[in-house]
Amino acid sequence: MRSWRTGVLLFSPLLLVLAGAFIVPLILLAPTSFREYQPGMGIVAGSFTLQNYVRIVADDYYREVVLRTLGLGVGVTVACLLLGYPVAYLIVRGRPGWRLPLTLLVIFPLMLNLVVRSFGWIVLLTNRGVVNNLLIDVGLIEAPLKLMFNVTGVTIGLTHIYLPFMVLMLVAALQNVPRDLEAAAATLGSSRFHVFRAVTLPLTAPGIIAGSILVFVLTISALVTPRMLGGPTYQVMATLIYDEYMQLLDWPSGSALSFALALATLLIIWISSRMTKRWAGLA
Amino acid sequence: MSNLTLDHVVKRYSSVTVVKDVSLAIDEGEFVSLLGPSGCGKTTILRMVAGLIDPSGGTIRIGDRDVTRLPPNKRNIGLVFQSYALFPHLTVHENVAFGLRRKGQSGAALDARVGEALAMVRLAGYGERYPRQLSGGQQQRVAMARAIAPRPNVLLFDEPLSNLDAKLRDEMQIELKRLQRELGITTLFVTHDQAEALSLSDRVCVMQDGVIQQFAEPETIYRRPATAFVASFIGKPNRLAGTIRGGRVALDEQLELRSESDLSGDGRPVEVFIRQEAISLAASGDESVNRIAGTVALRSFSGPQVKYVVRIGSDQELVVEAPSSGPAGDLAPGQPVMLEVHPQDVLVLSRETAP
Repeated sequence: MRSWRTGVLLFSPLLLVLAGAFIVPLILLAPTSFREYQPGMGIVAGSFTLQNYVRIVADDYYREVVLRTLGLGVGVTVACLLLGYPVAYLIVRGRPGWRLPLTLLVIFPLMLNLVVRSFGWIVLLTNRGVVNNLLIDVGLIEAPLKLMFNVTGVTIGLTHIYLPFMVLMLVAALQNVPRDLEAAAATLGSSRFHVFRAVTLPLTAPGIIAGSILVFVLTISALVTPRMLGGPTYQVMATLIYDEYMQLLDWPSGSALSFALALATLLIIWISSRMTKRWAGLA
Repeated sequence: MSNLTLDHVVKRYSSVTVVKDVSLAIDEGEFVSLLGPSGCGKTTILRMVAGLIDPSGGTIRIGDRDVTRLPPNKRNIGLVFQSYALFPHLTVHENVAFGLRRKGQSGAALDARVGEALAMVRLAGYGERYPRQLSGGQQQRVAMARAIAPRPNVLLFDEPLSNLDAKLRDEMQIELKRLQRELGITTLFVTHDQAEALSLSDRVCVMQDGVIQQFAEPETIYRRPATAFVASFIGKPNRLAGTIRGGRVALDEQLELRSESDLSGDGRPVEVFIRQEAISLAASGDESVNRIAGTVALRSFSGPQVKYVVRIGSDQELVVEAPSSGPAGDLAPGQPVMLEVHPQDVLVLSRETAP
C-alpha cells in the first residue's frame, strides 16, 4: 500500500493542475450545454433541453462538420504514419552518424510557433504562392491549383505540424525491437521485406497505435491551422466551437460540441488501447 | 549437412582489425567451439558465417557452396542467440514453425515437424504458450528447436548458455551435446567458458585478438597448449619465470625441474606453466617426478577442494589444489611441505610467445 500512496503523492501536483485548469471548468460547462439559447436574448435561465446534442447528429451542417473532422483526423494520421515510419526507421536503423542530425531535423519544426508555420504554408500554397507559381512557370499546369481553403491545405499543414510526434513515438517503438530478432528471422530464411512484415511491423504496433492516437486526437482538436489554412468556410469541430462561442455567443451549442468532441476523443483512445493489447498479444 | 570452411577471413572496422586472416576447416557433423576472452573476434566470425556481418576479405564455404556474399536467408543455417531472440508476439509453435514456413511447408507436414523439433528439446505440449510464459531454460530450448526445425546445413551457437544459472547450464550442455550427436549437424559454438568448450566439442579453436592460437582436440588443448596464451587461458595454471639450464628448467639458483617440453637452448628465458590440479601434496616415492620443497603460506577452503599458496625457492609461489577430505586437506600455514609434479605437467614455453 506504501507504493500506492507514493504514487498518489508523486501524481498530485499534476492532478491539482488538471483539476483546476481542466476538470472543474469542464464540469461547470456541463450544465450550460443543456440550456436553451435564443438569438439576441442569450441563454434562457432555468431551461433544460437536449436539442444542442441532438442537433450535432440530426442537423446536416453539424453532421458534415463532425464527419469532416473525423475524416481529416484519419487522413492526417495516415499521412503522418506513411511519412514518419521511414524516417523513424532511418533514425534507429540507419548509420549512427545520421541519428542526431535526423532527430534534430524532425524536432526543429516544434521550436517554431504554430502561427508562423501556418503562415509559411500560406506563402507556399496560395493561388499566387510559391508552389503554384513554380508549377505554372515549369508549364505543368496552366491555372493555379486550389491548394488552400480546402481539405488539401489543412491536411498538408496539420501533417507537417504533427509529424514530429508520430516520428518520436515510432523511434521509441523501433528502439524496443531487438536487432537479434530481425537477425533471427533472417537466418530462418526471411527476406528483408518479410523480416519487416513478420517481425518489425508487429513489434512496433504499440508505437504505431500510440502515435496514431496522438496525431488523431491533436488533429481533431486543432484550431489555429484549420482556421488559417481552411479559411472561414472550411469548418472543423474546433473552429465551429470557436465560432459558436465567440461569433454567435451560443455558449450552450458550443459546450455541447465541446463535450461531443471530448467524448469522441475518449472513445477513440479506449478502442485503440484495447487494440494495442490485442495486437501486441498481451490481451 | 556439410562441412564449413573459412579461408583467410578478415574483418576490419575502419582502423581496427578484429579478425585477422582466420582459416578454419570444420568437418561434416563436427562440433567445434570458438573459445576466447571477450573481444577476441569469435562472435564476429560466427556472425560472418551467419551472413549478419560482411567479411572484409576471404571466403566462407558451406559444403562446396561459396556463401561469402549471400544474405543470411540464402545460407540455410540455424543460429541460436545468447538472448534467445524468440519472437515475443508468436507462440512457441509459431516460433518453431517460422523457418519451416519460409521453406514452404504448411498444414500437417509442418505441424509434424514442429512437434518433432519440440519433442527433441523435450517441450512437447508447450506449443500454445508464449515465450514470456516460459522459464529461461525452456526459452533456450525453444530457440534450439527453432534453429534445428528447418534442418540447417550448419548450426551456430552464440554463447547460448551464458544467461542460464550454473545448474541449468550443466543440464543444457548435456542436452545440447546429445541433440547435436543425434542430428549430426556441423556445429560452430562460440563461448568464453573453457569447461563448456572442452566438454562439448570435438575440436576447440582458441582465439586471441582475432588470431587462432590453437585448433585441436580438447585433450591436446589441455595437455599440450601451443602458446603461452592457451596455457594461461585453459585450466588454472601457475605461471612462473624460468631459464633453460642444462636440459632442465631453472626457477632460481637451486630449484631445477625436469620437463617433457622442448628444453633446448641453454640460457633461454622461458615461461613455466604448472596447473594447480597437477601438483600433488602426497609423497609417491616415485623417483622420476619433480620434488619441490616449500612452506604453506595460505589455506583457502572451498568445500570439496582446499587451495594452498605454497612458497617455494627463494621468492616464488605456487597455488596448489588438493581434495579437502584427503590427508593433505588440513595443512596449517607455516607447515613445510613436499610438492610433486610429473615432468609432463611442467609446460615450458618461450617467453617471446607470451602476450
